[in-house]
Amino acid sequence: MKLTLPQRLSPTQFAAALKAFEAVVGKDWVMASDADRDAYSDIYAPGSEEEWPASAAVAPASADEVQAIVRLANEYKTPLWPVSRGKNLGYGANAPRMPGSIVLDLGRMNKVLELDPVLGYCVIEPGVGFFDLYDHIKREKAPLWMSVPGNAWGSVLGNALDHGIGYTPYGLHARNICGMEVVLPDGDMIRTNMGAMANNKAAHLFPFGFGPSWDQMFTQSNMGIVTKAGMWLMPAPASVLGLSLSIPKAEDIGWVIDTLAPLKISGVIDQSIFVPSWLGKVVLMGQRKDFWDKPGAIPESRVDEILKEHKLGYWHMGIRLYGDESVNKAKAEIIKKAFAAHISTPFEEEWWHPGDPIVSVDPTMGVPSAVALQMGDWVGGRGAHMGFSPVVPASSAHVMDQLKRSRKIIADHDVDFYASFTMGGRFCNNINMLMYDRDNPEQVANMRKLFDALVRDAAANGYGEYRTHLGWMDQVANTFDFNNHAQRRLNERVKDALDPNGILAPGKQGVWPAAYRDQANKEQRA
Amino acid sequence: MKRIALLALVALAACKPAATPAGPGAGGPPPDLLYQMRAEAPAGDRLTAGRDGAALFSNRCGFCHLRGGMGTNLLTKQRVAVGEPPEKGLLANRTDLTADYVKSVARMGKGAMPRQTKVDVTDAELDSVAHYLGKAGK
Repeated sequence: MKLTLPQRLSPTQFAAALKAFEAVVGKDWVMASDADRDAYSDIYAPGSEEEWPASAAVAPASADEVQAIVRLANEYKTPLWPVSRGKNLGYGANAPRMPGSIVLDLGRMNKVLELDPVLGYCVIEPGVGFFDLYDHIKREKAPLWMSVPGNAWGSVLGNALDHGIGYTPYGLHARNICGMEVVLPDGDMIRTNMGAMANNKAAHLFPFGFGPSWDQMFTQSNMGIVTKAGMWLMPAPASVLGLSLSIPKAEDIGWVIDTLAPLKISGVIDQSIFVPSWLGKVVLMGQRKDFWDKPGAIPESRVDEILKEHKLGYWHMGIRLYGDESVNKAKAEIIKKAFAAHISTPFEEEWWHPGDPIVSVDPTMGVPSAVALQMGDWVGGRGAHMGFSPVVPASSAHVMDQLKRSRKIIADHDVDFYASFTMGGRFCNNINMLMYDRDNPEQVANMRKLFDALVRDAAANGYGEYRTHLGWMDQVANTFDFNNHAQRRLNERVKDALDPNGILAPGKQGVWPAAYRDQANKEQRA
Repeated sequence: MKRIALLALVALAACKPAATPAGPGAGGPPPDLLYQMRAEAPAGDRLTAGRDGAALFSNRCGFCHLRGGMGTNLLTKQRVAVGEPPEKGLLANRTDLTADYVKSVARMGKGAMPRQTKVDVTDAELDSVAHYLGKAGK
């Protein structure tokens, strides 16, 4: 990829900045060739990768080096875009929001600093991936389980900091963070919560501190660079009971949600419950052309045939109960009774006990896998995906309301409908997976129009996205509009106070520093 | 336990990995779906040549290219489609790869495979991996 210089920097200033970075991290860890820029671009970009170009990447090995680079970035006015491992696929991967930003790749900072098998937590650096932590836990024979996302190729901290979700009782990953070390935009360093006291022994155990607690301020944020953090881990369960059920019709999702919600809220079900639609299953059985060989969305009549041919319901629900066998049995009875009021099909039950094998593609069992990315093969070509992910209350009225509207809009754009609901508490993350061929310009253009329409429509009806791709950060931020965008005004006041040169991740989540506020998408920012 | 495995596959849109004998032309034993632990990265400076290619392949590429991995699943489908046995879906079993090809795919990506940065795998590490996998042309 050709070089796009950081905003307002001359080639000489840019070269001088890179030279200064080299003195900190070594020549090999400042990467600024055309091939390097390609490697730091969005592999699933909806459009040209050159819409979100990095100018270079720099990879520090320690928090000290991060501090040194941040200080230099202030001196040379070079915007930095921190990534943990850069695998935020579908949301921009390792590419920056503002063209010409320098990616600060924290992938070399990959130490597991602590693993406490009794209190159930670890302290890790941002470059620690789910596979790294899993292998470490296994080698240490620690009786702990991770919560993993669908694509577990990425960073444990990076995923949690971006509000990623998993499917165990620890599925709200940002909630597992406890006690951070953060390099601020001026190069200063803080530790949050109890860790603000030097040598405090409960830094990663008590979720608050003395006075305001800052942890969540550094998630989905450009206020600081997290260089290590505590993450809580689940005790390995004495047993797991799986209760699975195919749900026949699309409209059944209403009663399913109403049945699950009280069980989830009362704690009968601990996990974040994942309910995907049929395409989630079919997408990996082959390619789209094996099921429907015409352009445009698969028609309803063909969907019915596919479901019959493969003996699938419209939805699939796999509940997992974790813990003591007698407790799981008792909980299963409560769940079965609740569902018996709506459906006569019995649950398929299966037990897991320690020592039984665990398949590698099952995130409900805390095992990392990247197999979910196989859906990239569905449409053919250079397959890519984006997720439209509004948060809806866990009740049928809201779930059906959002489902009907998004389904119609997706159908109006002639795109296949692949929805899932993940109930993490009193809400569901409604992820609509939109798959397309990156090499088909018409598909890409249609997908962008569709995404715009979905964001607008959801906001108009009172639902917002929990996370989004680089290209829609301004637009989604704009939908959080209470009191003339009071939250954005606060975010940017704080941003300007902490980061007067605006060097840290300008535009992340629609938060722009004064220095680069003119770079926001004007059409998408009221 | 098998049932949980299968149900989980269905639940997570990960059912029927491509290597399962399901599609036309498929055959041979199903892949091992159990988690395969990666080798530890061999000791030494990541920028220095000559570290163990097999261990580096397992550690740096094993997210997707060991048994049951995403890359293995997709490649198994491709190999089976051209009449090869499913085991050829594992890169370590291939005899037709050249070192240059391995390096090119790692850096430039291919199909669903993203490009690997030098933080993912350094040039020195990639040389070792390419030497290990590039059994053709030796």
